[in-house]
Amino acid sequence: MFENLLSRPNFMTFIILFIFGLTIMVTHHNLIKKLIGMYLLQTSVFVFLVNTGAKFGSTVPILLSAGGSIEPSNYANPLPHALVVTGIVVGVSTLGVSLGLTIAIWRCYGSIEEDEINERLE
Amino acid sequence: MTGQAVGLILLLPFFAAIAMPMLGSWRRSWCQPLALSSVGLMGLSALSASYIAVAQGPVQYAMGGWEPPVGIVLILDGFSSLIAVALSFVSLACLFFGGPLLPKDLGVKVVLYYSLVLMLISALAGITLAGDLFNLFVFIEVAALCSYALVGLAGGRGLMAAFRYLLLGTIGASFYLLGVGYFYAATGTLNMADFLVRLPDVLHSKAVFTGLIFIFLGLAIKAAMVPFHGWLPDAYSHAPAAVAPLLASLVTKVSLYAMIRIMFWVLGAGTLASELPILFLLGLGGAIAAVVGAFLALTQQDLRRMFAYGGISHVGLIVIGIAVGNKTGFAGGIFYMVNDAVMQATLFFIAGAIWHRCGARDLSQLGNLWAQMPWTSAALIVTALSMIGIPPTGGFFGKWYMVLGAMEATNYVAVAAILSSTLLTLAYFVRIIERIFGDKHSDPPVAQLTAEAPTEMRVSMGILAASILVLGLFSDQIVGLILRSAVPPGLG
Repeated sequence: MFENLLSRPNFMTFIILFIFGLTIMVTHHNLIKKLIGMYLLQTSVFVFLVNTGAKFGSTVPILLSAGGSIEPSNYANPLPHALVVTGIVVGVSTLGVSLGLTIAIWRCYGSIEEDEINERLE
Repeated sequence: MTGQAVGLILLLPFFAAIAMPMLGSWRRSWCQPLALSSVGLMGLSALSASYIAVAQGPVQYAMGGWEPPVGIVLILDGFSSLIAVALSFVSLACLFFGGPLLPKDLGVKVVLYYSLVLMLISALAGITLAGDLFNLFVFIEVAALCSYALVGLAGGRGLMAAFRYLLLGTIGASFYLLGVGYFYAATGTLNMADFLVRLPDVLHSKAVFTGLIFIFLGLAIKAAMVPFHGWLPDAYSHAPAAVAPLLASLVTKVSLYAMIRIMFWVLGAGTLASELPILFLLGLGGAIAAVVGAFLALTQQDLRRMFAYGGISHVGLIVIGIAVGNKTGFAGGIFYMVNDAVMQATLFFIAGAIWHRCGARDLSQLGNLWAQMPWTSAALIVTALSMIGIPPTGGFFGKWYMVLGAMEATNYVAVAAILSSTLLTLAYFVRIIERIFGDKHSDPPVAQLTAEAPTEMRVSMGILAASILVLGLFSDQIVGLILRSAVPPGLG
């Protein structure tokens, strides 16, 4: 079980980033730190998606030569990359909206610490 | 040619949303007519395409001319046409209702409101039409981003509610995307129909199972199933009064639609019944949600929070109906879903109208409301009858078919959950109705000088309350239609 995980460093990276992100989101009171955690979480999913398209001994999905037969195993799978590009766009828009909200919260409450804001809401 | 109408359902509100800031900076008073007409046209194209979809089978539109499974495809079948028509009808009513509230709530942000709302409607239509798992993710995220912005649009307490909603919604979306990644790794396809074909070969792989868990976690957060409902009451009770009906009636329901679509059309009903315990787990989750949500609603003092918890319990009821695993229960659940969209919109209309006229949100301030706002109170009573489930309203027939389905499947836990949730719903509506007709000494006596709500509000409330009755009176035909064309293949 454990050797199994160690032989997959990419997957380990994904898990560590994912748990990091989730922990930061849950434990920190600062809104910006929460957003950093959120972005880490999203990025870890992209790491996972890119990994599903990787192959040993393959290259970028651009045809090496015009003629002849095409050997799919020579190329990395381009579809996960396309998904991740779209995913990054979604992630950046989410971050944009969330930063906009944070600015509005700061203007309204004069603080971006969640416990201070909760005190003022009471 | 008919395929174009399917594309139009999604694109009409989208282009209107893009055009709105330009038009709004020139003539602000033209925003509402543009929004109403674009959603009205969307409804017409949804109706015409649905007519064809029901009569001749699913209508498909390949984006950019790329045929599936390579290209991205929009599909309108019996199930999605029902939701698309309900979506355009309810959102039209919501836009019409919001008109008089906007200047008071939002001031100069009216243009932003219309732009975001149209984008939200377009994304929700996209979710109903998506035939591709990743495309579904993109639409879910567009809808979610618009909802976050709309909740926080009026500032104040809504901002923190929007921020929490955003954090939880993003966790949900990340889970969903992760699940889609697992599905893709297992089958090598993202097209829903193609996935169903390839699934039997990899059914017992751990990747499919893990992906399924992640997708369901993600969509459960989006659909506010107990215990993932924490974001909903705050977000819906602090959202601007013009926004809350739209969010409450449509956003959770369409996420639930995505869940049902993935369960029965991507994984297939046969797989669910024989291989995976997902239906049992969902049924249990739905039963807990139905009872816990209704119980929490009973303990609320704030009118809008009470309705929000009522919505959570009704999501649970729909899930129970879907999860009993036979045609009757499924049709009942779908019928109840349409009803619930209308009922939630009406409830939040009523809360918005009371707030607009009296500035009251608390239950103790509603004393003698009947004398001040008879129309609003009448709409509230019709909706309450339907929420509790008393004939001849739509809510009764939805619950009736769900109970029939559960009896057929000898699932008495489901029957007990539906009945106890009904009793609790009765209890919290009795609290409201007692107030409305009750003592004239409300503290403080806000409802003294007020008159009835503006005409637009009354009209939209009246139309939706009437459509609850219409849904009830024509329930035979509608459930028959669902059984004929919207039930997934392979369901017993």
